[in-house]
Amino acid sequence: MSSLTAAPTEIYESGDSALRVVALAEASEDNWLTVHRLADWLESCGAEGLHGAVPTYDSVLVEFDPVLVSARQVRAFVKLGLLEMGRSAGSEATPREFDVPVVYGGDYGPDLEKVAEYQGISTEEVIRLHTEKTYTVRCLGAPAGSPMMDGPAFPKPVPRLKDPRLSVPAGAVAVAGRQAVIAPASAPGGWCVIGQTPLTVLNIRREPLVPYKPGDILRFRRIEAGEFDSYVGKELEPRP
Amino acid sequence: MSGHILIQQPGNAVVTDLGRFRGPRFGLPVNGALDQYSARAANILAGNLDNDPLVEITALDFRMKAHSDILIAVTGAPLTLTVGGRPCSQWEPVSVRAGETVAIRGINRGLRAYLAVHGSVEAPTLLGSCAPDTVVGFGLQLKEGTTLLTRRSVGPVRQPYFDLPLFRLGLERPNMGQELMVDVTDGPDVAEFGDSAELLFTSEYAVSGRSNHIGLRLGGELPERTSNGEVLSRGVPVGAVEVPSREELLVLHRGRGVTAGYPVLAVVTSNGLDVLAQARPGDKVHFRKTTVAEATSAHRRSRAQLETLRESVNTVFGLLGIGCRPQWQDLPVAACS
Repeated sequence: MSSLTAAPTEIYESGDSALRVVALAEASEDNWLTVHRLADWLESCGAEGLHGAVPTYDSVLVEFDPVLVSARQVRAFVKLGLLEMGRSAGSEATPREFDVPVVYGGDYGPDLEKVAEYQGISTEEVIRLHTEKTYTVRCLGAPAGSPMMDGPAFPKPVPRLKDPRLSVPAGAVAVAGRQAVIAPASAPGGWCVIGQTPLTVLNIRREPLVPYKPGDILRFRRIEAGEFDSYVGKELEPRP
Repeated sequence: MSGHILIQQPGNAVVTDLGRFRGPRFGLPVNGALDQYSARAANILAGNLDNDPLVEITALDFRMKAHSDILIAVTGAPLTLTVGGRPCSQWEPVSVRAGETVAIRGINRGLRAYLAVHGSVEAPTLLGSCAPDTVVGFGLQLKEGTTLLTRRSVGPVRQPYFDLPLFRLGLERPNMGQELMVDVTDGPDVAEFGDSAELLFTSEYAVSGRSNHIGLRLGGELPERTSNGEVLSRGVPVGAVEVPSREELLVLHRGRGVTAGYPVLAVVTSNGLDVLAQARPGDKVHFRKTTVAEATSAHRRSRAQLETLRESVNTVFGLLGIGCRPQWQDLPVAACS
Protein backbone atom coordinates (compact mmCIF):
# COMPACT_ATOMS: atom_id res chain seq x y z
CA MET A 1 0.00 0.00 0.00
CA SER A 2 1.31 3.42 -0.79
CA SER A 3 -0.30 6.71 0.03
CA LEU A 4 -3.74 6.73 1.51
CA THR A 5 -6.18 9.53 1.96
CA ALA A 6 -7.95 8.97 5.24
CA ALA A 7 -11.65 8.24 5.06
CA PRO A 8 -13.88 10.87 6.68
CA THR A 9 -14.25 10.07 10.37
CA GLU A 10 -16.34 10.83 13.38
CA ILE A 11 -14.93 10.75 16.93
CA TYR A 12 -17.16 9.67 19.81
CA GLU A 13 -16.56 9.99 23.54
CA SER A 14 -16.32 6.57 25.17
CA GLY A 15 -15.88 7.34 28.83
CA ASP A 16 -13.00 9.21 30.50
CA SER A 17 -10.30 6.84 29.19
CA ALA A 18 -11.22 6.05 25.58
CA LEU A 19 -12.42 7.50 22.29
CA ARG A 20 -14.09 5.66 19.43
CA VAL A 21 -13.10 6.79 15.96
CA VAL A 22 -15.44 5.62 13.19
CA ALA A 23 -14.54 5.81 9.48
CA LEU A 24 -17.42 6.80 7.26
CA ALA A 25 -16.30 6.15 3.66
CA GLU A 26 -18.62 4.20 1.34
CA ALA A 27 -16.04 1.52 0.61
CA SER A 28 -15.47 -0.76 3.61
CA GLU A 29 -11.89 -1.37 2.41
CA ASP A 30 -11.08 2.36 2.76
CA ASN A 31 -12.53 2.38 6.26
CA TRP A 32 -10.53 -0.66 7.26
CA LEU A 33 -7.28 0.79 5.89
CA THR A 34 -7.94 4.11 7.60
CA VAL A 35 -8.57 2.70 11.05
CA HIS A 36 -5.60 0.32 10.90
CA ARG A 37 -3.23 2.97 9.59
CA LEU A 38 -4.46 5.34 12.29
CA ALA A 39 -3.94 2.67 14.97
CA ASP A 40 -0.38 2.04 13.70
CA TRP A 41 0.35 5.76 13.72
CA LEU A 42 -1.00 6.19 17.26
CA GLU A 43 1.04 3.18 18.47
CA SER A 44 4.23 4.60 17.01
CA CYS A 45 3.79 8.33 17.75
CA GLY A 46 5.03 7.85 21.30
CA ALA A 47 2.52 10.23 22.85
CA GLU A 48 2.61 10.07 26.62
CA GLY A 49 -0.46 8.55 28.23
CA LEU A 50 -1.72 6.63 25.19
CA HIS A 51 -2.21 2.98 26.17
CA GLY A 52 -2.93 1.80 22.65
CA ALA A 53 -5.47 1.47 19.89
CA VAL A 54 -7.87 -1.36 19.05
CA PRO A 55 -8.73 -1.21 15.33
CA THR A 56 -11.52 -3.44 13.96
CA TYR A 57 -13.47 -3.09 10.68
CA ASP A 58 -14.57 0.52 10.50
CA SER A 59 -13.59 1.81 13.92
CA VAL A 60 -10.71 2.13 16.32
CA LEU A 61 -10.93 2.38 20.10
CA VAL A 62 -8.16 4.63 21.43
CA GLU A 63 -7.36 4.01 25.11
CA PHE A 64 -5.46 6.43 27.34
CA ASP A 65 -4.61 7.30 30.94
CA PRO A 66 -6.82 10.27 31.85
CA VAL A 67 -4.29 11.46 34.43
CA LEU A 68 -1.62 11.94 31.78
CA VAL A 69 -3.77 13.17 28.89
CA SER A 70 -7.34 14.37 28.51
CA ALA A 71 -9.92 13.14 26.02
CA ARG A 72 -9.61 16.54 24.35
CA GLN A 73 -5.86 16.14 23.85
CA VAL A 74 -6.26 12.62 22.49
CA ARG A 75 -8.90 13.88 20.07
CA ALA A 76 -6.32 16.35 18.77
CA PHE A 77 -3.74 13.53 18.41
CA VAL A 78 -6.24 11.50 16.42
CA LYS A 79 -6.89 14.40 14.05
CA LEU A 80 -3.17 14.89 13.61
CA GLY A 81 -2.76 11.17 12.97
CA LEU A 82 -5.44 11.22 10.29
CA LEU A 83 -3.47 13.94 8.48
CA GLU A 84 -0.01 12.44 9.00
CA MET A 85 -0.63 8.76 8.37
CA GLY A 86 -1.34 9.24 4.67
CA ARG A 87 2.07 10.82 4.17
CA SER A 88 4.12 7.98 5.53
CA ALA A 89 4.90 5.25 3.04
CA GLY A 90 3.01 2.04 3.69
CA SER A 91 5.08 -0.13 5.99
CA GLU A 92 2.77 -3.12 5.81
CA ALA A 93 4.52 -6.40 5.09
CA THR A 94 3.36 -8.67 2.28
CA PRO A 95 0.41 -10.67 3.62
CA ARG A 96 1.26 -14.18 4.73
CA GLU A 97 -1.07 -17.07 3.93
CA PHE A 98 -2.45 -19.63 6.36
CA ASP A 99 -4.08 -22.92 5.54
CA VAL A 100 -6.63 -24.00 8.18
CA PRO A 101 -7.84 -27.63 8.19
CA VAL A 102 -11.41 -27.91 9.53
CA VAL A 103 -13.73 -30.77 10.46
CA TYR A 104 -17.26 -29.53 9.71
CA GLY A 105 -20.49 -30.54 11.46
CA GLY A 106 -21.25 -33.15 14.09
CA ASP A 107 -19.71 -32.53 17.50
CA TYR A 108 -17.08 -30.36 15.82
CA GLY A 109 -19.65 -27.99 14.33
CA PRO A 110 -22.87 -28.29 16.34
CA ASP A 111 -24.58 -25.35 14.58
CA LEU A 112 -23.86 -26.39 10.97
CA GLU A 113 -27.37 -27.74 10.38
CA LYS A 114 -29.02 -24.74 12.04
CA VAL A 115 -27.06 -22.38 9.79
CA ALA A 116 -27.96 -24.41 6.68
CA GLU A 117 -31.63 -24.47 7.61
CA TYR A 118 -31.73 -20.73 8.30
CA GLN A 119 -30.00 -19.98 4.99
CA GLY A 120 -32.29 -22.41 3.13
CA ILE A 121 -29.32 -24.31 1.68
CA SER A 122 -27.75 -27.71 2.32
CA THR A 123 -24.97 -28.27 4.85
CA GLU A 124 -22.72 -29.21 1.91
CA GLU A 125 -23.45 -25.82 0.37
CA VAL A 126 -22.60 -24.06 3.65
CA ILE A 127 -19.25 -25.90 3.71
CA ARG A 128 -18.64 -25.11 0.04
CA LEU A 129 -19.29 -21.38 0.56
CA HIS A 130 -17.13 -21.36 3.69
CA THR A 131 -14.15 -23.10 2.04
CA GLU A 132 -14.24 -21.36 -1.33
CA LYS A 133 -13.53 -17.92 0.04
CA THR A 134 -10.15 -16.34 0.72
CA TYR A 135 -10.30 -14.47 4.01
CA THR A 136 -8.39 -11.36 5.02
CA VAL A 137 -7.79 -11.05 8.76
CA ARG A 138 -9.49 -7.74 9.49
CA CYS A 139 -8.52 -7.44 13.14
CA LEU A 140 -7.66 -9.32 16.30
CA GLY A 141 -10.64 -9.57 18.59
CA ALA A 142 -12.11 -11.27 21.62
CA PRO A 143 -11.45 -13.84 22.82
CA ALA A 144 -7.68 -14.10 22.90
CA GLY A 145 -6.72 -12.52 19.58
CA SER A 146 -9.38 -14.18 17.40
CA PRO A 147 -8.88 -13.52 13.67
CA MET A 148 -11.98 -11.51 12.73
CA MET A 149 -12.83 -11.83 9.03
CA ASP A 150 -15.56 -10.91 6.56
CA GLY A 151 -17.87 -13.91 6.40
CA PRO A 152 -18.69 -16.30 3.55
CA ALA A 153 -21.15 -15.33 0.80
CA PHE A 154 -24.22 -16.72 2.58
CA PRO A 155 -27.62 -15.48 1.35
CA LYS A 156 -28.38 -13.79 4.73
CA PRO A 157 -26.52 -12.60 7.82
CA VAL A 158 -26.27 -15.34 10.45
CA PRO A 159 -28.13 -14.55 13.70
CA ARG A 160 -26.22 -14.99 16.95
CA LEU A 161 -27.34 -17.77 19.29
CA LYS A 162 -30.22 -16.83 21.60
CA ASP A 163 -28.47 -18.56 24.48
CA PRO A 164 -24.71 -18.09 24.15
CA ARG A 165 -22.69 -21.19 25.08
CA LEU A 166 -20.83 -21.04 28.38
CA SER A 167 -17.83 -22.62 26.73
CA VAL A 168 -16.77 -22.91 23.09
CA PRO A 169 -13.61 -25.02 22.58
CA ALA A 170 -10.34 -23.66 21.25
CA GLY A 171 -10.19 -24.07 17.47
CA ALA A 172 -13.95 -23.55 16.98
CA VAL A 173 -14.70 -22.16 13.52
CA ALA A 174 -17.73 -19.89 13.73
CA VAL A 175 -19.86 -17.41 11.81
CA ALA A 176 -22.19 -14.58 12.89
CA GLY A 177 -23.74 -11.69 11.06
CA ARG A 178 -21.49 -11.16 8.03
CA GLN A 179 -18.38 -12.18 9.95
CA ALA A 180 -16.26 -15.32 10.35
CA VAL A 181 -13.80 -16.27 13.08
CA ILE A 182 -11.65 -18.96 14.70
CA ALA A 183 -11.57 -19.15 18.52
CA PRO A 184 -7.91 -19.37 19.66
CA ALA A 185 -8.91 -20.23 23.23
CA SER A 186 -11.87 -21.79 24.99
CA ALA A 187 -14.36 -19.09 26.00
CA PRO A 188 -18.10 -18.37 26.19
CA GLY A 189 -19.54 -17.52 22.79
CA GLY A 190 -22.75 -16.62 20.97
CA TRP A 191 -21.57 -17.28 17.40
CA CYS A 192 -22.71 -20.30 15.35
CA VAL A 193 -20.00 -22.97 15.43
CA ILE A 194 -19.89 -24.87 12.12
CA GLY A 195 -16.56 -26.68 12.52
CA GLN A 196 -13.30 -27.00 14.42
CA THR A 197 -9.64 -26.92 13.50
CA PRO A 198 -7.32 -29.33 15.32
CA LEU A 199 -4.40 -26.88 15.02
CA THR A 200 -3.14 -24.91 18.01
CA VAL A 201 -3.77 -21.22 17.31
CA LEU A 202 -2.74 -19.56 20.58
CA ASN A 203 0.62 -20.02 22.26
CA ILE A 204 1.16 -17.84 25.31
CA ARG A 205 4.81 -18.88 25.58
CA ARG A 206 5.80 -16.87 22.53
CA GLU A 207 5.18 -13.41 21.14
CA PRO A 208 3.10 -12.68 19.22
CA LEU A 209 0.63 -15.02 20.90
CA VAL A 210 -1.21 -15.74 17.66
CA PRO A 211 0.65 -16.27 14.35
CA TYR A 212 -1.42 -14.01 12.05
CA LYS A 213 -1.96 -10.28 12.04
CA PRO A 214 -4.42 -7.94 10.35
CA GLY A 215 -3.98 -8.09 6.59
CA ASP A 216 -2.87 -11.76 6.50
CA ILE A 217 -4.81 -14.31 4.42
CA LEU A 218 -6.61 -17.42 5.71
CA ARG A 219 -8.15 -20.30 3.79
CA PHE A 220 -10.26 -23.10 5.27
CA ARG A 221 -9.76 -26.65 3.99
CA ARG A 222 -12.16 -29.48 4.77
CA ILE A 223 -10.76 -32.57 6.47
CA GLU A 224 -12.58 -35.66 7.74
CA ALA A 225 -13.23 -36.34 11.42
CA GLY A 226 -10.85 -39.31 11.23
CA GLU A 227 -7.97 -36.99 10.32
CA PHE A 228 -8.51 -34.65 13.29
CA ASP A 229 -6.16 -36.41 15.70
CA SER A 230 -3.26 -36.48 13.26
CA TYR A 231 -3.15 -32.63 13.41
CA VAL A 232 -3.56 -32.26 17.16
CA GLY A 233 -0.55 -30.59 18.78
CA LYS A 234 0.58 -28.89 15.56
CA GLU A 235 0.60 -25.10 15.44
CA LEU A 236 -1.07 -22.89 12.86
CA GLU A 237 1.82 -21.57 10.77
CA PRO A 238 2.11 -19.47 7.64
CA ARG A 239 2.79 -21.23 4.36
CA PRO A 240 6.50 -21.17 3.53
CA MET B 1 18.07 -9.59 50.68
CA SER B 2 15.11 -11.55 49.39
CA GLY B 3 12.86 -13.89 51.28
CA HIS B 4 9.76 -15.92 50.88
CA ILE B 5 6.16 -16.14 51.92
CA LEU B 6 4.19 -19.37 52.24
CA ILE B 7 0.49 -19.34 51.36
CA GLN B 8 -1.39 -21.28 54.04
CA GLN B 9 -5.00 -20.50 53.09
CA PRO B 10 -5.39 -19.09 49.58
CA GLY B 11 -9.12 -18.36 49.63
CA ASN B 12 -9.56 -16.73 46.24
CA ALA B 13 -6.34 -14.81 45.64
CA VAL B 14 -4.13 -13.99 42.67
CA VAL B 15 -0.96 -12.02 42.03
CA THR B 16 -1.77 -9.08 39.77
CA ASP B 17 -0.75 -5.54 38.83
CA LEU B 18 -2.48 -2.56 37.23
CA GLY B 19 -3.07 -4.42 33.97
CA ARG B 20 -1.86 -5.55 30.58
CA PHE B 21 -2.04 -2.23 28.75
CA ARG B 22 -0.47 -3.68 25.59
CA GLY B 23 -3.09 -6.47 25.53
CA PRO B 24 -6.09 -4.88 23.80
CA ARG B 25 -4.16 -4.31 20.57
CA PHE B 26 -3.60 -8.07 20.44
CA GLY B 27 -7.14 -9.02 21.41
CA LEU B 28 -6.42 -9.54 25.11
CA PRO B 29 -8.30 -7.64 27.82
CA VAL B 30 -6.35 -5.26 30.07
CA ASN B 31 -7.33 -7.14 33.27
CA GLY B 32 -5.33 -6.23 36.41
CA ALA B 33 -6.51 -5.04 39.83
CA LEU B 34 -10.22 -4.30 39.63
CA ASP B 35 -10.10 -1.62 42.36
CA GLN B 36 -7.20 0.39 40.99
CA TYR B 37 -7.25 3.02 43.75
CA SER B 38 -6.91 0.43 46.51
CA ALA B 39 -4.21 -1.47 44.59
CA ARG B 40 -2.16 1.68 44.00
CA ALA B 41 -2.62 2.69 47.65
CA ALA B 42 -1.41 -0.70 48.90
CA ASN B 43 1.74 -0.51 46.79
CA ILE B 44 2.44 3.09 47.78
CA LEU B 45 1.98 2.25 51.48
CA ALA B 46 4.45 -0.61 51.05
CA GLY B 47 6.98 1.72 49.40
CA ASN B 48 6.56 0.14 45.97
CA LEU B 49 5.86 1.42 42.49
CA ASP B 50 2.13 1.58 41.70
CA ASN B 51 2.39 -1.14 39.08
CA ASP B 52 4.38 -3.65 41.14
CA PRO B 53 2.89 -7.15 41.50
CA LEU B 54 0.64 -7.51 44.58
CA VAL B 55 -1.99 -9.92 45.89
CA GLU B 56 -5.69 -9.39 45.08
CA ILE B 57 -7.93 -11.23 47.54
CA THR B 58 -11.56 -11.67 46.53
CA ALA B 59 -14.26 -12.35 49.15
CA LEU B 60 -12.69 -15.29 51.01
CA ASP B 61 -10.42 -15.52 54.06
CA PHE B 62 -6.68 -15.62 53.42
CA ARG B 63 -3.63 -16.63 55.45
CA MET B 64 0.11 -16.57 54.74
CA LYS B 65 3.29 -17.07 56.75
CA ALA B 66 6.35 -14.85 56.35
CA HIS B 67 9.68 -16.68 56.32
CA SER B 68 11.66 -13.46 56.57
CA ASP B 69 10.99 -10.03 58.07
CA ILE B 70 8.73 -8.12 55.71
CA LEU B 71 6.66 -4.96 55.52
CA ILE B 72 3.13 -5.19 54.12
CA ALA B 73 0.09 -2.98 53.53
CA VAL B 74 -3.52 -4.12 53.13
CA THR B 75 -6.19 -1.96 51.49
CA GLY B 76 -9.55 -2.40 49.75
CA ALA B 77 -12.64 -3.89 51.38
CA PRO B 78 -12.90 -3.54 55.18
CA LEU B 79 -11.68 -6.69 56.94
CA THR B 80 -9.99 -8.05 60.04
CA LEU B 81 -6.21 -8.10 59.70
CA THR B 82 -4.02 -9.89 62.21
CA VAL B 83 -0.26 -10.41 62.24
CA GLY B 84 1.02 -13.07 64.62
CA GLY B 85 -2.43 -12.87 66.24
CA ARG B 86 -2.21 -9.09 66.88
CA PRO B 87 -4.95 -6.97 65.30
CA CYS B 88 -3.40 -4.50 62.83
CA SER B 89 -4.64 -1.53 60.83
CA GLN B 90 -5.58 -1.62 57.20
CA TRP B 91 -4.38 1.26 55.01
CA GLU B 92 -1.11 1.52 56.97
CA PRO B 93 2.28 -0.14 56.55
CA VAL B 94 2.53 -3.16 58.87
CA SER B 95 5.74 -4.81 60.01
CA VAL B 96 5.74 -8.64 59.95
CA ARG B 97 8.51 -10.70 61.55
CA ALA B 98 9.88 -13.93 60.20
CA GLY B 99 7.66 -16.82 61.30
CA GLU B 100 4.53 -14.71 61.83
CA THR B 101 1.24 -15.48 60.12
CA VAL B 102 -0.75 -12.76 58.36
CA ALA B 103 -4.49 -13.49 58.44
CA ILE B 104 -7.24 -11.68 56.56
CA ARG B 105 -10.79 -12.50 57.60
CA GLY B 106 -14.34 -11.28 57.37
CA ILE B 107 -14.66 -9.48 54.06
CA ASN B 108 -18.39 -8.83 54.16
CA ARG B 109 -18.74 -5.25 53.02
CA GLY B 110 -16.98 -4.68 49.72
CA LEU B 111 -15.46 -7.63 47.88
CA ARG B 112 -11.76 -7.21 47.12
CA ALA B 113 -8.70 -6.55 49.28
CA TYR B 114 -5.12 -5.80 48.19
CA LEU B 115 -1.98 -6.95 49.98
CA ALA B 116 1.31 -5.42 48.90
CA VAL B 117 4.73 -6.50 50.21
CA HIS B 118 7.61 -4.02 50.38
CA GLY B 119 9.90 -4.92 47.49
CA SER B 120 7.01 -6.75 45.81
CA VAL B 121 6.88 -10.42 44.82
CA GLU B 122 8.11 -12.38 41.82
CA ALA B 123 5.50 -13.30 39.19
CA PRO B 124 5.68 -14.41 35.54
CA THR B 125 4.64 -11.85 32.93
CA LEU B 126 2.81 -11.91 29.61
CA LEU B 127 3.06 -8.85 27.35
CA GLY B 128 4.73 -7.01 30.21
CA SER B 129 2.12 -7.72 32.90
CA CYS B 130 1.59 -10.40 35.56
CA ALA B 131 -2.20 -9.82 35.59
CA PRO B 132 -4.04 -13.14 35.24
CA ASP B 133 -6.00 -13.73 32.04
CA THR B 134 -8.51 -16.50 32.63
CA VAL B 135 -9.33 -16.86 28.92
CA VAL B 136 -5.80 -17.61 27.72
CA GLY B 137 -5.00 -19.46 30.96
CA PHE B 138 -2.27 -17.18 32.26
CA GLY B 139 -1.54 -15.98 35.77
CA LEU B 140 -0.50 -16.83 39.30
CA GLN B 141 -3.56 -18.09 41.18
CA LEU B 142 -2.45 -18.78 44.77
CA LYS B 143 -2.88 -22.26 46.19
CA GLU B 144 -2.18 -23.79 49.59
CA GLY B 145 1.57 -24.27 49.70
CA THR B 146 2.41 -21.69 47.01
CA THR B 147 5.66 -19.90 47.85
CA LEU B 148 5.97 -16.25 46.87
CA LEU B 149 9.48 -14.87 46.54
CA THR B 150 9.79 -11.38 47.94
CA ARG B 151 12.29 -9.13 46.27
CA ARG B 152 13.41 -7.45 49.49
CA SER B 153 13.34 -7.98 53.23
CA VAL B 154 12.75 -5.28 55.85
CA GLY B 155 13.96 -5.58 59.42
CA PRO B 156 11.27 -5.35 62.11
CA VAL B 157 9.93 -1.83 62.53
CA ARG B 158 8.79 -1.19 66.10
CA GLN B 159 7.78 1.98 67.83
CA PRO B 160 10.59 2.32 70.37
CA TYR B 161 8.60 3.54 73.40
CA PHE B 162 4.98 2.42 73.21
CA ASP B 163 3.50 -0.31 71.08
CA LEU B 164 1.44 2.26 69.23
CA PRO B 165 0.73 2.10 65.55
CA LEU B 166 3.71 3.52 63.72
CA PHE B 167 1.96 5.26 60.92
CA ARG B 168 -1.05 7.51 60.77
CA LEU B 169 -1.06 8.45 57.14
CA GLY B 170 -4.72 9.38 56.96
CA LEU B 171 -5.55 8.45 53.39
CA GLU B 172 -9.15 8.82 52.29
CA ARG B 173 -10.67 5.36 52.19
CA PRO B 174 -13.32 4.53 49.66
CA ASN B 175 -16.89 4.23 50.97
CA MET B 176 -18.23 0.74 50.83
CA GLY B 177 -21.81 -0.17 51.51
CA GLN B 178 -24.73 -2.00 50.04
CA GLU B 179 -25.96 1.08 48.16
CA LEU B 180 -23.49 2.12 45.51
CA MET B 181 -23.48 5.32 43.45
CA VAL B 182 -21.73 4.85 40.13
CA ASP B 183 -20.93 7.72 37.76
CA VAL B 184 -21.29 7.16 34.01
CA THR B 185 -20.94 9.26 30.87
CA ASP B 186 -23.11 8.89 27.78
CA GLY B 187 -21.92 6.03 25.60
CA PRO B 188 -21.15 6.42 21.89
CA ASP B 189 -24.39 4.60 21.00
CA VAL B 190 -26.74 6.26 23.50
CA ALA B 191 -28.94 7.56 20.67
CA GLU B 192 -29.86 3.97 19.76
CA PHE B 193 -31.80 3.69 23.01
CA GLY B 194 -34.00 6.77 22.51
CA ASP B 195 -35.87 8.02 25.59
CA SER B 196 -35.48 4.66 27.32
CA ALA B 197 -31.82 5.58 28.00
CA GLU B 198 -33.10 7.70 30.94
CA LEU B 199 -34.22 4.53 32.74
CA LEU B 200 -30.58 3.96 33.62
CA PHE B 201 -30.71 6.97 35.93
CA THR B 202 -34.17 6.50 37.44
CA SER B 203 -33.98 2.78 38.23
CA GLU B 204 -32.27 0.83 40.96
CA TYR B 205 -30.21 -2.19 39.90
CA ALA B 206 -29.27 -5.29 41.88
CA VAL B 207 -25.90 -6.99 41.38
CA SER B 208 -26.37 -10.58 40.17
CA GLY B 209 -24.33 -13.49 41.49
CA ARG B 210 -23.21 -14.15 37.92
CA SER B 211 -20.87 -11.15 38.03
CA ASN B 212 -17.09 -11.40 37.83
CA HIS B 213 -13.96 -9.59 36.64
CA ILE B 214 -15.21 -9.73 33.04
CA GLY B 215 -18.45 -7.96 33.78
CA LEU B 216 -21.20 -7.27 36.30
CA ARG B 217 -24.74 -8.34 35.54
CA LEU B 218 -27.38 -6.08 37.02
CA GLY B 219 -31.11 -6.72 37.34
CA GLY B 220 -33.60 -3.85 37.08
CA GLU B 221 -35.54 -1.84 34.51
CA LEU B 222 -33.76 -2.06 31.19
CA PRO B 223 -33.38 0.58 28.50
CA GLU B 224 -34.29 -0.85 25.10
CA ARG B 225 -32.56 -0.48 21.80
CA THR B 226 -34.79 1.16 19.22
CA SER B 227 -32.81 0.15 16.12
CA ASN B 228 -32.22 -3.45 15.18
CA GLY B 229 -29.42 -3.45 12.62
CA GLU B 230 -26.43 -5.79 12.59
CA VAL B 231 -23.51 -4.21 14.44
CA LEU B 232 -19.95 -4.90 13.29
CA SER B 233 -17.57 -5.91 16.05
CA ARG B 234 -15.91 -2.88 17.61
CA GLY B 235 -13.46 -2.24 20.39
CA VAL B 236 -15.43 -1.70 23.59
CA PRO B 237 -14.09 0.38 26.49
CA VAL B 238 -13.76 -0.99 30.02
CA GLY B 239 -16.88 0.28 31.80
CA ALA B 240 -19.18 -0.13 28.78
CA VAL B 241 -22.83 -0.51 29.80
CA GLU B 242 -24.69 -2.79 27.38
CA VAL B 243 -28.12 -4.43 27.21
CA PRO B 244 -27.36 -7.79 25.58
CA SER B 245 -30.52 -9.54 26.79
CA ARG B 246 -34.00 -8.80 28.10
CA GLU B 247 -33.02 -9.94 31.58
CA GLU B 248 -29.98 -7.98 32.65
CA LEU B 249 -27.79 -4.99 32.16
CA LEU B 250 -24.13 -5.85 31.53
CA VAL B 251 -21.35 -3.57 32.78
CA LEU B 252 -17.98 -4.63 31.39
CA HIS B 253 -15.01 -4.52 33.75
CA ARG B 254 -11.26 -5.01 33.21
CA GLY B 255 -11.52 -8.63 32.04
CA ARG B 256 -13.86 -7.68 29.19
CA GLY B 257 -13.40 -9.08 25.70
CA VAL B 258 -11.89 -6.22 23.73
CA THR B 259 -14.36 -6.43 20.84
CA ALA B 260 -18.12 -6.88 20.82
CA GLY B 261 -21.14 -6.21 18.67
CA TYR B 262 -23.53 -4.61 21.17
CA PRO B 263 -24.28 -0.89 21.26
CA VAL B 264 -22.67 0.96 24.19
CA LEU B 265 -25.33 2.82 26.17
CA ALA B 266 -23.06 4.43 28.76
CA VAL B 267 -19.51 4.14 30.09
CA VAL B 268 -18.65 3.91 33.79
CA THR B 269 -16.00 6.45 34.86
CA SER B 270 -12.57 5.38 36.13
CA ASN B 271 -13.61 6.15 39.71
CA GLY B 272 -16.94 4.38 39.17
CA LEU B 273 -15.12 1.21 38.10
CA ASP B 274 -13.36 1.14 41.48
CA VAL B 275 -16.77 1.36 43.17
CA LEU B 276 -18.10 -1.54 41.06
CA ALA B 277 -14.98 -3.59 41.83
CA GLN B 278 -16.25 -3.74 45.41
CA ALA B 279 -19.90 -4.54 44.58
CA ARG B 280 -21.14 -7.79 46.12
CA PRO B 281 -23.99 -9.89 44.75
CA GLY B 282 -27.22 -8.37 46.07
CA ASP B 283 -25.78 -4.85 46.47
CA LYS B 284 -27.86 -2.04 44.96
CA VAL B 285 -26.45 0.21 42.25
CA HIS B 286 -27.63 3.66 41.21
CA PHE B 287 -26.16 5.32 38.14
CA ARG B 288 -25.51 9.06 38.00
CA LYS B 289 -24.81 10.94 34.79
CA THR B 290 -21.64 13.00 34.55
CA THR B 291 -19.48 14.46 31.81
CA VAL B 292 -16.08 13.30 30.60
CA ALA B 293 -14.54 16.56 31.85
CA GLU B 294 -16.00 16.11 35.35
CA ALA B 295 -15.08 12.44 35.45
CA THR B 296 -11.51 13.28 34.48
CA SER B 297 -11.24 15.96 37.20
CA ALA B 298 -12.64 13.57 39.82
CA HIS B 299 -10.17 10.87 38.81
CA ARG B 300 -7.25 13.30 38.87
CA ARG B 301 -8.26 14.44 42.37
CA SER B 302 -8.16 10.89 43.69
CA ARG B 303 -4.81 10.25 42.02
CA ALA B 304 -3.45 13.49 43.49
CA GLN B 305 -4.36 12.16 46.97
CA LEU B 306 -2.27 9.10 46.22
CA GLU B 307 0.65 11.34 45.27
CA THR B 308 0.34 13.12 48.62
CA LEU B 309 0.35 9.73 50.30
CA ARG B 310 3.48 8.76 48.40
CA GLU B 311 5.29 11.83 49.74
CA SER B 312 4.28 11.06 53.34
CA VAL B 313 5.34 7.43 52.99
CA ASN B 314 8.69 8.36 51.52
CA THR B 315 9.30 10.83 54.35
CA VAL B 316 8.38 8.32 57.07
CA PHE B 317 10.32 5.48 55.44
CA GLY B 318 13.30 7.78 55.05
CA LEU B 319 13.22 8.69 58.76
CA LEU B 320 12.90 5.04 59.76
CA GLY B 321 15.69 4.05 57.40
CA ILE B 322 13.49 1.62 55.51
CA GLY B 323 15.41 0.93 52.36
CA CYS B 324 13.22 2.47 49.76
CA ARG B 325 14.67 3.40 46.45
CA PRO B 326 13.71 6.84 45.24
CA GLN B 327 10.23 6.41 43.82
CA TRP B 328 9.06 9.88 43.03
CA GLN B 329 6.64 9.99 40.19
CA ASP B 330 6.12 13.50 39.02
CA LEU B 331 2.54 14.28 38.20
CA PRO B 332 2.32 15.86 34.79
CA VAL B 333 1.28 19.46 34.69
CA ALA B 334 -2.03 18.48 33.13
CA ALA B 335 -3.01 16.61 36.28
CA CYS B 336 -2.68 19.68 38.46
CA SER B 337 -4.96 21.94 36.47
